[in-house]
Amino acid sequence: MTTHATRPPRRYRPPGQLGGRGPIGGQAKRRLTIAGFLLPALAILTLFVFWPMLSALRLSFTDASGFGREKFIGLENYTEVFTDPDILRAMGNTVLYTVMFTPLAVVLALALALALNSPYLPFRGVFRTWLFLPFIVSLAVAAFAWQYLLDPQVGLLNYWLQGFGIRIGNVLQDPVLAMPTVVLVAVWKNFAFYMIVFLAGLQEIPGSLYEAAKMDGAGPWSRFRNVTMPLLGNTTGFVLIIATIAALQAFDQIYVMTGGGPYKSTQTVVMQIYQSGFKDLDLGFASALSYVLLIATLILSLVQFFVTGRREKDVG
Amino acid sequence: MKKLLTAAAVLAVASLGLAACSSGSDSASTSGDPVTLTFWHGYTEADGDVLEGIVDDFNAAHDDVKIETEVKTWAVIDDTLLTALSADQGPDIVAMPAERLPVYASKGAFADLTDFYADDASNTSELNPQAVAMETVDGTPYGVPTGFVPLSVFYNKALFAAAGITEFPTTWDEWVADAKKLTVDQNGDGTPEQYGMVLPDHATVANGVWPSLFYGNGGDVVEDGTTAVIDSPENAETLEYWSKAVIDDKISPTGVDGVKADELFSSGKVAMTIGGPWMASIAKDNAIDYGIAAIPAGPKQQAASAIGVSMGITAQADDAKAAAAKEFFSYFFEPEVATAWSLGSGWPPLRTDIPASDVADNPTVAALTEIAGTSRALLPGVVNSSDVLAEMDVATQKALAGGDVPSLLGDAQAAIQSTLDEQ
Amino acid sequence: MTALTERPPRRPEAAAARPLAKRSAPLRRIGPWLFFAAMLAVALLVLLPIIIIVFTAFKPVAEVNAFPPSLVPGDWTLDNFTRIFTELPFGRLILNSFVFAGGVTLCALVFDSLAAYVLARIDFRGSRVLLIVIVASLMIPFQATLIPIYQLVADLGWVNTFWGLIIPRAADAFGIFFLRQVFLSLPRDLDNAARIDGASEFRIFRSIVLPNAVPALLTLGIYTFVNNWNDLLWPLVFTTQQEMGTITSGLTLLTGPSGIVPYGVMMAGSLIAVVPLAVMFLFVQKRFIESVASTGLK
Repeated sequence: MTTHATRPPRRYRPPGQLGGRGPIGGQAKRRLTIAGFLLPALAILTLFVFWPMLSALRLSFTDASGFGREKFIGLENYTEVFTDPDILRAMGNTVLYTVMFTPLAVVLALALALALNSPYLPFRGVFRTWLFLPFIVSLAVAAFAWQYLLDPQVGLLNYWLQGFGIRIGNVLQDPVLAMPTVVLVAVWKNFAFYMIVFLAGLQEIPGSLYEAAKMDGAGPWSRFRNVTMPLLGNTTGFVLIIATIAALQAFDQIYVMTGGGPYKSTQTVVMQIYQSGFKDLDLGFASALSYVLLIATLILSLVQFFVTGRREKDVG
Repeated sequence: MKKLLTAAAVLAVASLGLAACSSGSDSASTSGDPVTLTFWHGYTEADGDVLEGIVDDFNAAHDDVKIETEVKTWAVIDDTLLTALSADQGPDIVAMPAERLPVYASKGAFADLTDFYADDASNTSELNPQAVAMETVDGTPYGVPTGFVPLSVFYNKALFAAAGITEFPTTWDEWVADAKKLTVDQNGDGTPEQYGMVLPDHATVANGVWPSLFYGNGGDVVEDGTTAVIDSPENAETLEYWSKAVIDDKISPTGVDGVKADELFSSGKVAMTIGGPWMASIAKDNAIDYGIAAIPAGPKQQAASAIGVSMGITAQADDAKAAAAKEFFSYFFEPEVATAWSLGSGWPPLRTDIPASDVADNPTVAALTEIAGTSRALLPGVVNSSDVLAEMDVATQKALAGGDVPSLLGDAQAAIQSTLDEQ
Repeated sequence: MTALTERPPRRPEAAAARPLAKRSAPLRRIGPWLFFAAMLAVALLVLLPIIIIVFTAFKPVAEVNAFPPSLVPGDWTLDNFTRIFTELPFGRLILNSFVFAGGVTLCALVFDSLAAYVLARIDFRGSRVLLIVIVASLMIPFQATLIPIYQLVADLGWVNTFWGLIIPRAADAFGIFFLRQVFLSLPRDLDNAARIDGASEFRIFRSIVLPNAVPALLTLGIYTFVNNWNDLLWPLVFTTQQEMGTITSGLTLLTGPSGIVPYGVMMAGSLIAVVPLAVMFLFVQKRFIESVASTGLK
């Protein structure tokens, strides 16, 4: 979110009036320019993102089902969110998922991006294409492949490992192992995009900086800590935020692979929102839960923002 | 960059042109004199062709009505119906798994069919009363059945022959004894290579495996659509009986759901599975010589939960459309149509006055028709059925993993009752 | 593929490559290959599920669930592919997918980059609040806003049209956020010079900022395209007629009653569906590298 020390300050005001040739009418023209750039995107976002969000906010105070009549019920939905043990449990599961997914996915993506950026690696281009493949496969299909791998009776992994006397058991139906397994599938599916983002960030780091660091006698680890990491701060912050948002909205592979089970141990908040809204037709409650998730995510992101922001200031 | 922008503009214009074309043809099809009804259903196999045929015949016989079908899978109907209805863009007639009808009905999505059932011309008086029970919420019918079939056991004849079993078991004790004979642990590592049966412990086929077993011992899950009765001594006995068979005798793998159970049967790894009529074609595709039998009788009675499909008239249909839809329903239940539908779909006839001999052409249907009398609707009138079933799944899955049965049933009872109280 | 592998070392590597010369000769020869072996192991692990998808597509029905399981089909068959072409209006579905995913991607790239440019490079009152609102909109689950969006699209009469599929996604918060981060880090020397010369903001955007952000635009483009191409619920909800569906939504029709999936057919279908994505990625990857290499100003 913040820029690092070597770059110009973020809130940069260019010399002279923006876009205007003279002082007269410059301000108006500048406003017009800004509006022109923002208009198409903002029009669409307002209609199809912000307005639906406001509708959902309104619904969260009602007992709406999506059709038919709806009644204003005040904060009842919100009280239920914080008192229903199933919902609290789903929140706990979501936190657990996020704590496992985010660091794992981000570190793996960074490590692989560093590897793919290294000149020592033969056939880098092939690897780059190869490692990106999970991202383009649809998750429903990938989930099948994973289930086929992990199946305890007819699965390949189990069959191969049996040769070595190892049994992996029924990981997707184990209340302890099911969560790490769905996290692993999500990491497998998503790391590639984060990796590409890191790769783009790495390629923007000027080689001269590494040269300079080496002149000063910095080893590989020290170069990574003192050159790569600070210069990648912007990218890392971005990846961390999108990975956290993705984790807090975990749904797809859980829906396909475990349906929230066993014993609701992989039931996440968004799984719960789906079930309340689309199975129990309790759209009001689903909207309330969505807003609680939104607020929690926002707080978490702001904390992340300030923490990474502070760290970068220290570096500068 | 400029090229990219130009390409973008060209493609955008082209796509909008395509959109215009398609919306143009759309409006043309909805204009015209006859009442046009949209009908969503999930019959995607051979049964779908038969249903299309029935609809075509109906359209041909009625100049003033035109029914247009849209085929989706059952899961897709469930996921998209709410959104479509929220903007009056949904179907006028929709078929869906029967246990999903009450929740939609309770929110006002379906038209009240009390008058339709009261009308003699509706052909509904001979319908299986258990099938009609699926349509009723708080005493009001909101739909008509299009399918009602008991769960039954599919068994692998080759594996039965290899184990020297000639008669299919008829009681639980015989069933478990045979399953033990069919369970093979060649290398003696404690994990069988072949299982006698597969007893799914959650998300079972049509959610009916455990209710079937509970009924067999005189138990139930919910009474009158309002009272949880899962915590009964009968159900505790049932759960303990089957968890002992699975844990101690290892007659079934654990942690399996309904879909996985069907796949295990297809792979030849298990000798018996509880399933629906479609297992016949799946077994055939996988070159498995199969037999069909009723679920063996429990200590108290012979019973099976039914897989049900319902169709209803949505609230967005105006009076003219609703009248046309009712006309279609009456047509659907005419004896000849009902017989043709039964033969084509592979499900037993919905009318009780159609003798098994009329459907003898289809051996699967004939076999299922014989045991149809023992079948019961799943959670009739229960609005939040998916929550109730989720709680039941927790109890069965934990029990088969060795959990303490009485406390599991106690927890399930409390959770199910609070769900029922919310509705 | 070869074009990718033959990429000569560029700036960062050119500098980093030098220590090779300092190391001893055997290490110089073996080191990269040890590294290569390690990466190969990782890559194979990553690839395993995809290999399963490919092989399953060529398996006959009876082999998919067979025990003992096998990775490679015993009997190779094209039946699964034939079923896709006979049971689905395949050509129409693929065309729809292209129009939908392509339309969304192109619109979003244009609109997102315009908005991101202002948010990243022009200081104005309320820009911070606007950015926070945009990023916050990413945090509401899709399931919560689906019904309000649908009602709006239906009011506009756009159900079962490409308009309804594309326009609601023609700009998206993620893209704006992503491009804003990228534009923020591009150097400003050139645009300031251009501004002093009296160039308009649009001119600076088009001829200075965009050309320098090609890798990012390509990354976002492929991200948007892939996500929409593979999206299931959106086309299912916004198109009730089969001929308006996409290849991804069309494949659900192959699911049997009780949710049994004919895996062979499904894998064959996904394999065909993924080919355009793979080709596109190869192309983008090549451009990606070229443009990084050619960005002169650093």
